Amino acid sequence: MSARRLRPDAWALMAPALLVLAAVTALPTGYVVWLSLNERALFRAEDFVGLGHYLRLAGDARFWNALGNTLYFAAVSVALELALGLAIALLLARAGRARAFAYGAVLVPWAVPTVVSARIWEWIYNPELGVLGYLAGTPVNWLGDPVLALHAAIAMDVWKSTPFVALLLLAGLQGVPRDLLRAAAVDGAGAWTTFRRITLPMLAPVILVAAVFRTIDALRVFDAVYVLTGGGPANATETLSIYAYRVLFQMLDFGYGSALAVAMLAIAGIAALAYARLLRGGME
Amino acid sequence: MTGRAPRRRVLRALAALPLAGLAGACSAPQAPPPADAIVFRHPKLFGDPQPLDTLVGLFGRAHGVRVRRETLPASSDEQHLFYAINLRARSRAFDVLALDTIWVAEFARAGWLRDLSHAISASDRADLFHAPLASVSWEARQYALPWFADAGLLYYRADLLAAQGLAAPRTWTDLVDAVRRVKRVRPDLHGFVWQGKQYEGLVCNALEFIWGHGGDLDRPAEPAVRGLAFMRALVTAGVTPPFVTTLTEEPARVLFGRGKALFLRNWPYAWRLLERSGSPLQRRVGVCPLPHASGHATASALGGWHLGVNAFSERAAIAERLAAFLAAAPAQKALALAYGYSPPRRSLYADPELAAAQPFLASIGTVIETARPRPVSPYYVALSQTLQSEFSAVLAGVRTPSEALAAIARERRALASP
Repeated sequence: MSARRLRPDAWALMAPALLVLAAVTALPTGYVVWLSLNERALFRAEDFVGLGHYLRLAGDARFWNALGNTLYFAAVSVALELALGLAIALLLARAGRARAFAYGAVLVPWAVPTVVSARIWEWIYNPELGVLGYLAGTPVNWLGDPVLALHAAIAMDVWKSTPFVALLLLAGLQGVPRDLLRAAAVDGAGAWTTFRRITLPMLAPVILVAAVFRTIDALRVFDAVYVLTGGGPANATETLSIYAYRVLFQMLDFGYGSALAVAMLAIAGIAALAYARLLRGGME
Repeated sequence: MTGRAPRRRVLRALAALPLAGLAGACSAPQAPPPADAIVFRHPKLFGDPQPLDTLVGLFGRAHGVRVRRETLPASSDEQHLFYAINLRARSRAFDVLALDTIWVAEFARAGWLRDLSHAISASDRADLFHAPLASVSWEARQYALPWFADAGLLYYRADLLAAQGLAAPRTWTDLVDAVRRVKRVRPDLHGFVWQGKQYEGLVCNALEFIWGHGGDLDRPAEPAVRGLAFMRALVTAGVTPPFVTTLTEEPARVLFGRGKALFLRNWPYAWRLLERSGSPLQRRVGVCPLPHASGHATASALGGWHLGVNAFSERAAIAERLAAFLAAAPAQKALALAYGYSPPRRSLYADPELAAAQPFLASIGTVIETARPRPVSPYYVALSQTLQSEFSAVLAGVRTPSEALAAIARERRALASP
């Protein structure tokens, strides 16, 4: 244990930071967990209900629908962002003189506030006036079709978040030793073999870090989908965040809403732990 | 409002007000502490705040109080949340509050609103339209005063219908026939656009289809099924474009306003935007009550705002007076002249001055007469979530009308017995 080797006054030195962390993270989280064990709705008597809300969650079809939408959204968008981000990073690494311009151009979608880009995409998807329908040559009901709508939201998220992944991976690429690449070239390895045998393994930890960030972000997705579709049609795009928002801030049911929020926290936590294990495996 | 003439009329209407205000002041003289003001919370106004300030100023001078207006957040969700958070904490930061029609039962049940039954006289009751009065009532008591009323209307392209020798549709069959006939010469045109996105507006539209077929959520039977089936059939038959599932009020209004659709269902506000100078549809639009299935009556969903008094207000007596003053006929007339807000009182639709200044109001009066409130329930916000998703599922074709109505009935039972 490294804690044993700490200076005796270390805890005192860390105390301010720990206090701030406790005040802004631990306390609110603990309070939400506490709320989730209680009945706190407008017209119901306040009461301790233990795991009652979690039992209700298990039988709530709307929760499972939202969970399915959220997991699908996260899996597809993160996979696409990693694949596209890696491709863009590899291209950017060879950008040469145009590099500064390319960096700027790639970063634009990431820099635009999500609500603004969602509004832009709402117009792009507009079946009557949107550029996408124009390019397709026929009006497509992107946001109003129960199957297409979630994919339309995924496409927007990919457009928005790929730059972040690309930039992170680009930084990782700088860390791949040139000597290794040159040695591979001397040994007669082709571009594909070099990529598979050297670049990709060297990049794996960075890819995992990017995946952690993007997965946790995607599991919490709210603003993009809420602006694009409001969760519709037929709840086909209702994510866990949107469901929790509605229960908490529209129906004012703080007990059940908190249980939903805790469920989201647990799911994001499980994802983070799984990645952490992968990451540790990769390091060894 | 544009131009000077309407403003002069507003001023003249306002000149008649001090009498009404003073009459109230004399009956029970009060000496409120002048330092702190009574606070009136209301949504953002569509236009110049001057006429409302003048009204409020008149009241203040007559009663020797300062009245401060404060604007609510922009979105309906935020407004609801603002009130709920503050009133749950027994806030006294505002005294008179403007309420969306769908919140009154909830706030009344929560004990956040003063009972204002005594502030609605017998003549008021006779004068007020049925739906606004019903939507401020909870367990036979009134917890708010109707301030202005909205109701769904059918806008149509009078020029295109006339070219085919058609009149404004009275039944849904008329509307569908008109779309078919006009589309034969104008295949580029959309037929009938309305609000089909999964949100509160869809609830209003779907209820209108149900009511117009003689159905009702309280009796989920055959007519309600027919209403929802008709809603879906509009899309499958090509009368309504499939992307209606993305439309809210403004996108539908813009589409119609660019001349791309024959019929539009919208609230009264759209009229001024369609008729303003520069609009390609100026003097080419007609408006009428929503169609109904033959053998049934038209019914449109009620919207609008009411005035309530904070149950925790320290100055409830004077706050009640302010609410009553603003919801009385003279103030409603002034606001109708200034903003085009449609009053919830029958008498004002017979007012010649108002009719001359806002000719459009005449067509709204008959519609508000037939308007119906959405379910008046303290659980309306929760119920509406189910209504939105079920109606959206029917419209998207992933659920049958009877499945949706059964799910809605289950949710209503669950909400009624927590």
